Amino acid sequence: MRDHLRTASLLLTATLLAGGGALAADPGITDTEILIGDVEPLTGPPALLGVAASIGHKIAIAEANNAGGINGRKIKYVLEDDGYVTARTIQGAKKLIEVDKVFAMLGMSGSGQSIAVMPVLEKAGIPTVIDVAPVKLLWEPPRKNVFVVGQSYEEGIIHLVNYLAEKNPGKKWGLITQDDDYGITVRDGFDSVVKSKKLNVVYSGNYKKGQQDFSSDMLQLKDSGAEVFLAGGIIAENIAMMKELEKLNVKPVTGIFWPGRVEPVLKLMGPAGDGIFAVDYVEPFAGEAGKAFLEKAKPLVSEAEFKGINRYTMSGYAAAKVLIAAIERCGKQPTWACTIGELEKTKNVETGVMAPISFGPGIRFSNQKLQIMQADTATVSFKPVK
Amino acid sequence: MRTGDYKQTYGELVALIDSPPVWLWSAVLMLALIAAPHVLNAYALTFLMIILITVTGALGLNILTGYTGLISLGHVGFLVTGAYAYAILVSKYHMPPLVGFLGAGLVPALASLVVGAPSLRLKGLYLAITTLAFSFIINTVILEMRWLTNGARGISVQRPEILGISFDSDAAFTYLCLGIATLTLLATLNIRRSRVGRAFVAIRDNDTAARVMGINLHAYKLLAFVTSALITGLAGALYGIYLSFVSVEGFPFLLSIEALAILIVGGLGSALGAVLGTVLIVLLPEATRLVFSLFSAQLDAVFTTGAQELKSMLYGLVIILFLRFQPRGLVGAWHDIRRAWVNWPLRY
Repeated sequence: MRDHLRTASLLLTATLLAGGGALAADPGITDTEILIGDVEPLTGPPALLGVAASIGHKIAIAEANNAGGINGRKIKYVLEDDGYVTARTIQGAKKLIEVDKVFAMLGMSGSGQSIAVMPVLEKAGIPTVIDVAPVKLLWEPPRKNVFVVGQSYEEGIIHLVNYLAEKNPGKKWGLITQDDDYGITVRDGFDSVVKSKKLNVVYSGNYKKGQQDFSSDMLQLKDSGAEVFLAGGIIAENIAMMKELEKLNVKPVTGIFWPGRVEPVLKLMGPAGDGIFAVDYVEPFAGEAGKAFLEKAKPLVSEAEFKGINRYTMSGYAAAKVLIAAIERCGKQPTWACTIGELEKTKNVETGVMAPISFGPGIRFSNQKLQIMQADTATVSFKPVK
Repeated sequence: MRTGDYKQTYGELVALIDSPPVWLWSAVLMLALIAAPHVLNAYALTFLMIILITVTGALGLNILTGYTGLISLGHVGFLVTGAYAYAILVSKYHMPPLVGFLGAGLVPALASLVVGAPSLRLKGLYLAITTLAFSFIINTVILEMRWLTNGARGISVQRPEILGISFDSDAAFTYLCLGIATLTLLATLNIRRSRVGRAFVAIRDNDTAARVMGINLHAYKLLAFVTSALITGLAGALYGIYLSFVSVEGFPFLLSIEALAILIVGGLGSALGAVLGTVLIVLLPEATRLVFSLFSAQLDAVFTTGAQELKSMLYGLVIILFLRFQPRGLVGAWHDIRRAWVNWPLRY
């Protein structure tokens, strides 16, 4: 009788352990599929970056699926639109985690949106790789499950201003920034170089987000005699500024930042944009790596999506590649804990679109290498500066 | 046989709830709301939280626009002021959350005196533009006062702990929103049936006649502004806590328009209308998505990847349809249904 009881209890324990194991399996994964979620601004003006980033994710996912998926499981991509509205980003993330039950997350919209969604991601513990808006609050302090691919805005601006200062010694400087978080970051980065290099700043302007007319600002810039100009707009603002300078017949050495370093912007600037400098951590499309990426992307996306490719596609692609590689390394039964562990072990992963990506224990920011590039309006592209 | 809903005493006329079935249904609704956080998943719960926060804000606007007839296009200014007041007091100066909520009510109330003063001489479109300007000025002030507000960088806000009760989980925070929304609803219903509420309505209907009756227009218009801003500020604090991050970007101008749309769709001047309007406006895009997803997965995908454009279109369409076919809003429709039910088979 005692033996029977022992056998029965052993069987019960084994069943419970097996059942417990099944119950403990993380969501978003079946025998044939792995779900990856993403929230992006897909409508409204910021869609230019949200759509492009999502195309990058799609390219990496299609590439992996064409190669047989992750250890035999196909990746399914679930995308939510937040329209750049913070409340909707939170709702979108909760929907992906609770309703769609995704296994991992990518993207996470703009800087304010990704900061706001951080408590949701942290509480859920879901593996997440952020790629659209790298801001310090996302990796300082480091969160166990959230990894950021890119470079900080501050470092980007410092790199650009240092380069322009070295190439243009003793020149007069002008700067204009937006009245938001992005603008403050640009200004802080600029100010730090101004102090160290003792730059002569003759014009310093600030404009309200959404401003369309820059005629008076650019007239002031011209009157100040600025010879090097840091245009702190994003898209429409930089176009308006350059067009205005063209009208005033002045052409200072101009630098722009990577959120505006997209080819459609250059096209709209026309000849006014020729020769402007930009800083970025992703490869320019005019370079070998950029051309190779476009070749790779062409058969994997629709024609309309191919036209929507810009630098955010590259950053999205790199983030998705890193995430997919980490899940893959977890073998046949990937879990959140394993994926997070493998993401942490990411070391010099080559994506072909930026410098190799690495994370580490307590390091959740990939800190990408920056490069300077210059606009060529004849080919509507940015070319690397040697 | 009862042939109508007649009030025979003054007490009946000002009663908060005038029939036992309404008490019963109100109790059932309250019980359902109390049970909801334990039944709904985290995603569905976000809708409940948004509804409760929006109801609080809409009830605040309803006092000004619905009861007193003063149109405000800049109520998001009070919302953002309340959110920042809470965030600065609690996150920056580590004050208790209750002090934060007090500040979230008082700071917008004080700010409303600034914008309320011109309302003594302005009406209609002119007042609307003044309030609109106020919301822009507030944003600029917040961005410029970096030493206090962190400027455009914003302030992170934690879920509060009040009197030893933690509101960290979504369910607990929903209860906090529910408590504040319920208190606001009771307060606005009580204001409406008081001397002050009748003065507000008299000003809305004809301010010259109200003045002839002895109502102090200056005092009551300012009171309407202060009360409305105080409630909206509380909603702002809740919204800031919900977002966990307070920045000017999180409070777009569109929220002012959305609040006005809620009042129009719900029925201007009615607390019940503000509640019904909120439920419809918040749930409309999701309900539409769910209906379409029953027919096709592709349509469902269109709703998730183009949600914001479709949402704006749906809002526009609903407002046009209500203005054309039911200008008295959902409350008007509800009254028509109730009258038809009571009088059936007679028409009147």
